[in-house]
Amino acid sequence: MRRARTLLGLAAVAALVGLYFALRAPVDAFQGEYARIMHIHVPTAWLAFLAFGVTAFGSVMWRLRRSRRWDRLAAGSAELGVLFTGLALLTGSLWGGGVWGTYWDWADARMATTAMMFFVYLGYLALRRSSPDADTAASRSSLLGIIAVIQVPLVYFSVNLFRGLHQGQSIRPDGVTMPPEMLIAMLVNLAALTVVYVALLVARMAVLAEEELVAAVEPIAGTSVVPPRFGEVGDA
Amino acid sequence: MSFWGQVREFARRDLLAERRAGEVVSIVVPFGAVALMAFPLALGIDTPVISRTGPAMFWVVTFLFTMQIALRHTASDASHHRAMLALVGIDPFARLVGRSIASTILIWLFMAVMFPVMVLFYSPALPPTWLPALLPAALAGMGLAQIGTLAAEVTTGLQARSTLAPLLVAPLAIPLLIGGSQALESLVRGSGILPWVLLVSATDLALAVTAALIAHPMEDAAL
Repeated sequence: MRRARTLLGLAAVAALVGLYFALRAPVDAFQGEYARIMHIHVPTAWLAFLAFGVTAFGSVMWRLRRSRRWDRLAAGSAELGVLFTGLALLTGSLWGGGVWGTYWDWADARMATTAMMFFVYLGYLALRRSSPDADTAASRSSLLGIIAVIQVPLVYFSVNLFRGLHQGQSIRPDGVTMPPEMLIAMLVNLAALTVVYVALLVARMAVLAEEELVAAVEPIAGTSVVPPRFGEVGDA
Repeated sequence: MSFWGQVREFARRDLLAERRAGEVVSIVVPFGAVALMAFPLALGIDTPVISRTGPAMFWVVTFLFTMQIALRHTASDASHHRAMLALVGIDPFARLVGRSIASTILIWLFMAVMFPVMVLFYSPALPPTWLPALLPAALAGMGLAQIGTLAAEVTTGLQARSTLAPLLVAPLAIPLLIGGSQALESLVRGSGILPWVLLVSATDLALAVTAALIAHPMEDAAL
């Protein structure tokens, strides 16, 4: 838990640095101040992809090793993926309202596929909570965690596959189509939010491990009486 | 017994159980018709809007009630029943395929009843010829049955099964709903339906591959 606390402190500092760079970045000639939202929107979307990739990796490892650690990794990362996807949808919608004149456009494939991905992973989390036994929940949700990651490339390449309001990728193998000052601000925010993601993931995995320990305690008489925890007496 | 023999037996058993219980015919189908009726009542007297939304409502109702069909009591196995089937060497994928076939037939039946009901209540613009419309509709029904069967498998034995299963699979059904509804609209406009047929077919194929891949691990998780 100490490691998680240290990482959370580091994440808070990183978030402040990211915010500073986002506010110091130059204003876009067409988008105005709304361009600053992109410094949060793009990194949160990328981190959502990373989080769901980690969920798939954790799910595969759970199926191979049957170790609780991998299931906690998959579960914690899926929760953060949903959080970052929600933030990406929210910030994208706010940006769209100011720049495109609409908060949502059904004809845009990137928006529709991102929303679809969001709901699939909400279902993943609901599936986890529906199984009373941790191993059963892990077995069932690992399958969904592996299958659902197929959506990540679909969402990413949807701007190339379908025409819509979203622009294509700004960072491509053949070059970058944005000014260096804006690129630096975005990359700093990406690094900062990655630290936030890692810190939250480590903290969440520690909490999940504690929850499993609590769940493993057998009630003596119903749920109103539990065995004394002698190790905790000294802390009081 | 061969793989296809097992598939045939499962499909036959499911349909026989449904014929005896009448869960789909006597409960789900009338409820679907009521759902189709509720929307125009809630919307009020706006005939052009009702007419335009008819085909979309048909697909939405079909999707939602597909879940009811896939999660019907006559098609759910208790864990001891599953254990017995595993013990005698029944292939879990054969069980999935057989169940999907039975659900497909029941969903086609549901769609065959709902479409005239939708035409009656909504008076939508209809294509000049009917035959080409049947192919994408049949393929979409097949895909919905596969999705429903997979959702039913993943949520076997869970308390919140009836609400959790639709949440899990609703996003996956979107290509089927788009393909089915757009094919009908294309026919009304007089344009081709091939892209929509391909979209629905590709989704069906992807679902079949997924079912083949997860049938055995799913069996382990459910036992």
